[in-house]
Amino acid sequence: MPAFSAIHHITICLSYIAFFAASLAAALYLIQDNAIKNKMAGMLFSRLPGLSFLDRLNYRSIGIGFPILTISILSGFIWAKSIYGVYWQGYNYRHLYSLVLWLIYALILHVRLTARLRGRKVAILSITAFFMMVLTLFGTCR
Amino acid sequence: MDLAVIGINHKTAPVEMREKLSFPANETIEANRLLKENSFLKESLILSTCNRMEIYAVCDRNKDYVSGIKSFLSRYHNMNLSEYEDRMYVRRDREAVEHLFSVASGLDSMVVGEMEISGQVKKAYQDARESLTTGKALNRLFEKALFTAKKVRTKTLIGRGAVSVGSVAVRLAEKILGKLDDKTALIIGTGAIGEKLLLYLRKNGIKSILVTNRTLEKAQGLAARFAATAVAFEGFLERLADVDIVIVSTGAPHSVIRKDDIVSLMPRRKQRPLFIIDLAVPRNVDEEINRIDNAYLYNIDDLEKIVIGNIEFRVGELENCVGIVKASADNFMNWLAIEKIKNEN
Repeated sequence: MPAFSAIHHITICLSYIAFFAASLAAALYLIQDNAIKNKMAGMLFSRLPGLSFLDRLNYRSIGIGFPILTISILSGFIWAKSIYGVYWQGYNYRHLYSLVLWLIYALILHVRLTARLRGRKVAILSITAFFMMVLTLFGTCR
Repeated sequence: MDLAVIGINHKTAPVEMREKLSFPANETIEANRLLKENSFLKESLILSTCNRMEIYAVCDRNKDYVSGIKSFLSRYHNMNLSEYEDRMYVRRDREAVEHLFSVASGLDSMVVGEMEISGQVKKAYQDARESLTTGKALNRLFEKALFTAKKVRTKTLIGRGAVSVGSVAVRLAEKILGKLDDKTALIIGTGAIGEKLLLYLRKNGIKSILVTNRTLEKAQGLAARFAATAVAFEGFLERLADVDIVIVSTGAPHSVIRKDDIVSLMPRRKQRPLFIIDLAVPRNVDEEINRIDNAYLYNIDDLEKIVIGNIEFRVGELENCVGIVKASADNFMNWLAIEKIKNEN
């Protein structure tokens, strides 16, 4: 089923782009937060965007990336079924990692939506998730 | 053809004298006309702001125009020459050109790099044109001055960084919270610096202001002046759940806000960022609060250090600005030299 293969590949790229934007916003957030907390209102402070903007950008990018990732995983399952005859191969690292990644982003969205965490900790989580994603990509591509 | 500026400014004269010699905005056009009618000046222009009063003049060589201008000032303001003469400076030709270019670029201002002065120079120029007292030389001089000011502003970092406690606080608030037009500030205490800060917040479009004080009447007094709401001191901590900026400016010798207050507050605020400004001496807010996620605490020293840093930064940029001013002055002097030759022939 080539259609699902195409959907899978396109959506995975799109979700990676969204998550990359999220982690970039998160990294800038951490730099700006650090500058403000430590009272370093110099060049960096004035050039970087404000905290609320960066926090929102991070959150929204994940909000866009997550459903796309979900579509990607689902289409991956269907595609796998057409090749291997099963939806899910338990021993396939790529599948396992993708699921873990999906859970992490779900967690980030959950804590942010329920307002348990905001700002710095969400930023750290989303950078961690992005690194894991990159590792998944390199670690499982053969 | 001689070019000169004669005047006083914040460096040479106290405010009482500057007030006496200044020209109110609605009189400038008339004053320009009077000055030209009563002197041998070929061209003239009055620049009058709260920090300076200067007269730019073009005159035929070898004519004593300076005493003419001074006697005009004495008559207009009803003052004796001896009252202000020693406070006055006269700069001629290239020095006058460089002086105006520096003034227009904010380099000669009380707060170096402030840009309001460019607008005032522009207004003075428009007024003088309206009074028909400028000619080829002053027109070109002032157009070049405004052009130089623009160049200084865009090519250097002289205007960067806030240089007052109020503007630093506003800039921080915007970086932490975003736009202020949907934000609420609470001020605790009615100290003078706090009041000034409220003024800045109002000017920058803050949505609403709450005022609290141990004596409610004082809070009500301040609230009336800022179209704010006075709230009871007891239980102001409850209010913090809906407030984005807290300004503490009481005379209390102890902490008014403790770390535990904020720790238990943050979940109720849904972790929305909170900016606390402690203007009180001794400090009224527990320093440890700055360690809490999404809570940002600045005290008066922190703000003043940033102000000093920004001023130093501006002073460091001066060299670049002076370079631009000198290059522009070179250009203008070349043009003027050619004009002089043309006139002599």
